Amino acid sequence: MREIIKHRPGKIFLFVLAISIIGMLYVTKYFTKPILFFGWMTLPFVCGVIFILIWLVAYLIYFFKYWPYR
Amino acid sequence: MELFALSLFGLIILLIAVYGYKISAKTAEDYMLAGRGIGIIVMFFFVLFAISSAWTFYGYPGFLYLHGPCYVYFVWGCVAGFAALYMFLGPRLWAIARLNRFLSPVEALSERYESKPLRLVLAVILLAFIVPYIGIQPIGVGLGFQALTGISPIVGILYTTILLIFIVLLGGMRITAWVNVLLGIIYATAFFGSLIWIVSKLFPGGLSEAASIIAIKRPELLTAPGPKGYFTSVTIGGALIVGLLALSWPHIVISTMTAQDKSIFKWIPLLTFVAGGLLFYSIPFIWGSIVAPAVSHMDGTLVLPVVGKAADNIVQTIITKHLPGWFSTFVLMGVIAAAISTAAVQLMTAAILISRDLIHGFFKPGAKDEQLIKWTKVAVIGIIIFSLGIALWNPVALALYLTRVAVPGFAQWAPALVGGILWKRGTKQGALTGAIAGTVYLIAGFIHPPLVFGLGNPLIPTLIVNVILYIIVSLLTPPPSKQVERRFFDEVDEFLSQ
Repeated sequence: MREIIKHRPGKIFLFVLAISIIGMLYVTKYFTKPILFFGWMTLPFVCGVIFILIWLVAYLIYFFKYWPYR
Repeated sequence: MELFALSLFGLIILLIAVYGYKISAKTAEDYMLAGRGIGIIVMFFFVLFAISSAWTFYGYPGFLYLHGPCYVYFVWGCVAGFAALYMFLGPRLWAIARLNRFLSPVEALSERYESKPLRLVLAVILLAFIVPYIGIQPIGVGLGFQALTGISPIVGILYTTILLIFIVLLGGMRITAWVNVLLGIIYATAFFGSLIWIVSKLFPGGLSEAASIIAIKRPELLTAPGPKGYFTSVTIGGALIVGLLALSWPHIVISTMTAQDKSIFKWIPLLTFVAGGLLFYSIPFIWGSIVAPAVSHMDGTLVLPVVGKAADNIVQTIITKHLPGWFSTFVLMGVIAAAISTAAVQLMTAAILISRDLIHGFFKPGAKDEQLIKWTKVAVIGIIIFSLGIALWNPVALALYLTRVAVPGFAQWAPALVGGILWKRGTKQGALTGAIAGTVYLIAGFIHPPLVFGLGNPLIPTLIVNVILYIIVSLLTPPPSKQVERRFFDEVDEFLSQ
């Protein structure tokens, strides 16, 4: 992680991850609403899938293009 | 039929362990860290199924079944936490251990902080929280045995314990990792297959039909705060943070030290996100939050709603009632696989802490490899007996033990671990003060919950105290020596840059 914070792409990568965690905490206030996606996917599940997808895309871009030890 | 299949399954695992014994190099490095030669595929199965214990089949769906879908936040946190371990800490810890031939992460930290007392403190803390968790796994299987065959849980407990002992004694870390590939495939197939079969048999309209039954009969199971009001915004957010601390689970941290090369750290997060987070962990979620409650609340159900600790067995009960006996046996094999794949890694990790960090570190520093391996094996036997005793003496629901006891306990070495690897200014005084204060506060919170503000999970306040003390005391005490800076930072940077 020391190598990640030393350059701009790494800082952007960490910023995206941090924002996604804050977003996960923020959306919890909507979990009282009975919303189902595709007829069965509850909000906490859908939010988590989006959260993992954000981490996945950020990781793919950073680790395969910018990570100094790649 | 069931007993024959389970005997054959056990025999295959034993044969793999014997094969592992034959090909092993008989060195401490080979026995404890698989010769630092684990490649990408084995590493993925090793880690994913070291994480996916009997808890994934019993505790997690059971808790979702009782309290609604918000507990999934813990798992989302865990997925991110495991990936973070491999992205942020893993490469450096791997390089430190490889350059200095360390066999345990606690040994690495004790050298990094130049402190033998820290080695003692961290080893004792980790052992205190990992050992009881090992015993819970065979007991979970014992209950599964009982649900399937009607035989006393003792038989299942003994069966699992014997397999565990053989795998770890004969094969060490290498065979523990290899066996996880086989066990993981069996577990994932059984878990996913049972879900597909039950849904197609009971809900022709698919998961939407199952969800609509819950929406009509128990709509509170689809939203926060859940039927019992457990999940507020604070507890849901807390579950995510507790999950993120998965990066400090000792049996996962040690896996980074077994990696063959640094490319492992580039690829494992991909598998963690896709195969672990999006695919595998969706299975217990769908089981526990949609399928099991719908089965219990559908008209003419064979599986009436259950409460309390009985919810741990809900998936097994549904499978046993609705699917053929042979498939129930296969699913039980999957559960045994899950329990063994986790407990074996935990057992190995705990035994290394005892032999390498306590015995070798304090009493026999000049011991040879053969002695070290012997002590590790003796420790394995002692730990399994002790952990079973604790788990039988104080039975708790799987979900609660993991999230409320084991994870907060593991978190108490996180500041020393993260700071030791990433922060040059972290000192032994800071690490010792933080770890001791955090653990004492945690234990006090178990005894008297108002001390941790009555929070369902004591991790957050205790970790905050730990981190603050670590930072403040580190800044107030003399910095680590130049030698430490060179050995644990400069040389590591150079090595990883090659």
